[in-house]
Amino acid sequence: MIQLLLHKKLHTAKGMMPLDIDLAITPGEFVTLYGASGAGKTSTLRMISGLLTPDNGKLVVNDVVWLDTSKKTNLKPQQRKLGFVFQDYALFPNMSVLKNLEYALEKHQDNSIITELIDMMELGELQHQKPSTLSGGQQQRVALARALVQQPEILLLDEPLSALDTKMRIKLQDYILKVHQKYKLTTILVSHNIGEIIKLSDRVCLLEQGKIIKSGIPSTIFATHQMSAKFQFTGEVLSIQKEEVVFIVTVLIGTNVVKVIAQESEIANLTTGDTVIVASKAFNPVIQKVL
Amino acid sequence: MIDWEPLILTFKLALITTVLLLFLGIPLAYWLAYSKSKIKPVIETLVSMPLVLPPTVIGFYLLLAFSPSNTFGNWVSEWLGLHLIFSFEGLVIASIFYSLPFMVQPIQAGLSSLPKQYKEASYVLGKSKFKTLLKIILPNIKPALLTGIVLSFAHTIGEFGVVLMIGGNIPGKTKVASIAIYDEVEALNYSTANTYSLILLIITFSILLIVYLINGGYLKKMNR
Amino acid sequence: MNTLTGQISTIEVNGSLALITTRVNDVFFTAIIVETPETASYLKLGATIKVLFKETEVIIATQTPEYLSLQNKVIGQVTQVDKGVLLSKLVINTSVGDIVSVITTKAVNQLGLTKGNHVTAMIKTNEILLSE
Repeated sequence: MIQLLLHKKLHTAKGMMPLDIDLAITPGEFVTLYGASGAGKTSTLRMISGLLTPDNGKLVVNDVVWLDTSKKTNLKPQQRKLGFVFQDYALFPNMSVLKNLEYALEKHQDNSIITELIDMMELGELQHQKPSTLSGGQQQRVALARALVQQPEILLLDEPLSALDTKMRIKLQDYILKVHQKYKLTTILVSHNIGEIIKLSDRVCLLEQGKIIKSGIPSTIFATHQMSAKFQFTGEVLSIQKEEVVFIVTVLIGTNVVKVIAQESEIANLTTGDTVIVASKAFNPVIQKVL
Repeated sequence: MIDWEPLILTFKLALITTVLLLFLGIPLAYWLAYSKSKIKPVIETLVSMPLVLPPTVIGFYLLLAFSPSNTFGNWVSEWLGLHLIFSFEGLVIASIFYSLPFMVQPIQAGLSSLPKQYKEASYVLGKSKFKTLLKIILPNIKPALLTGIVLSFAHTIGEFGVVLMIGGNIPGKTKVASIAIYDEVEALNYSTANTYSLILLIITFSILLIVYLINGGYLKKMNR
Repeated sequence: MNTLTGQISTIEVNGSLALITTRVNDVFFTAIIVETPETASYLKLGATIKVLFKETEVIIATQTPEYLSLQNKVIGQVTQVDKGVLLSKLVINTSVGDIVSVITTKAVNQLGLTKGNHVTAMIKTNEILLSE
């Protein structure tokens, strides 16, 4: 169980913004923080990891007090057992992939975990390369592996996939889900991508101006209405094309491209790149076994 | 045949000064790069003073400070048995002050431009500040360290005013190359002065050229 | 998407299927859905609900036929006809508001549909979506 109660006055580009986070997370839960940039998502992760100190607050992780400003308890980042994946990976440029992972080992820790992580993240062929020679997706896999070397119970991911293209993003999402389940992690993700959030998280917290304004199951939070459509997917609009009296909207769902016929009123506030729900009744699709 | 002693003395002084400056410069640059202290601008100014002050001014005040008639100079000479005026030890200390900005400024700039995520990633992995400095920060600012080392070394070779004020002109102790050149010119031995000057010119040129080649990545390109 | 708002008047459940009748003004719309009052909180008698159906699912007839399986019928007058090469869009003014239908241009020509015609718009039970 993680109990978070954090208050801090943040100095942002728009001036002073008070951050007020009150959140309880159960072990094994996958929670996503969602909100506009500057809403306080990254600051929250930094306060959990100890890289930023709140003005006042309390942080209890599995009955261990990490922070209690009223008792002047404040564990250093070094003393907090968690994995952190930074937005721009933060791989050490002077070390190879393998050395980056080995650096993360604790004193006297058995290095069999390194072999396991290299296998799982498919880094075998890259292990002797320097980070600068790797692609974004490869660097992200190394960063994820490095964060798991000490086998933490908590994994913090700060917009880990924002710099990747869609195909790579989907692959990395699968890696994240895999490690979340395999190591029974409690994962806190910061993400802007609604499709990603629905796919990965058990719960999403909407942050606005430093406060959680809404929290719940992602598909319920993001769908404005409940609908009796059983054939529902979240995707990204790739293109909108006018054909006679209708419009054809091309949507990327996972790695599949689908097309939906729409009316002018439906596409009025839709642009390429938007996240949409594509829905149909369970009666319409046909099903066929793939030979 | 020229007297090699001033040249050897010059390089010995530059080498010792640079090594001591490296150990002094790293923590000082680290503090200047990361501290949010209110006295930081004052310290930064003090470190940069030798860049703009005439060397003779530094030499003059160090002379006063080191003088045995002064409390500090007296303490040093009584407790440490060091006579800092007109001695090689005194020259080393004066040179450290004189070349301090040349070591501190490149390292401080290197530290400031290194993304703070590297440091933070290391802390989150449970590594101490010292281990992070040694294994992550310093290896990633090698060009800045090299620049600091070489500039301090070259600058110490070129010092004149400070040496003249505090070291005087004692052969084998404080008579460095720059002083020797001045001496030879005074004595109208232009050809000896020219030899000393040429040697200094060639060595300084070579050192600086090597630094620019390494930091510019030219040597790596040639190997490919 | 055609969107109408009405009140649920009957709910018939069998297994995980439900047949819902919704009253919109003087017209009843029937929808079959894979959802029951237990799985969907918005399924309550008298609750206000949205009845949604796609324009391409609206069938047009020039008379009201009695011999079809279609449950949802609305009478109205054509107020607009946009003809494309293959598809055409009709706007029909009815007692529940405007309903848009997209059918083939061939069908429009066969029925001789023009502005002012009185038509019946029909939607299959399984094509109607319900939403809060």
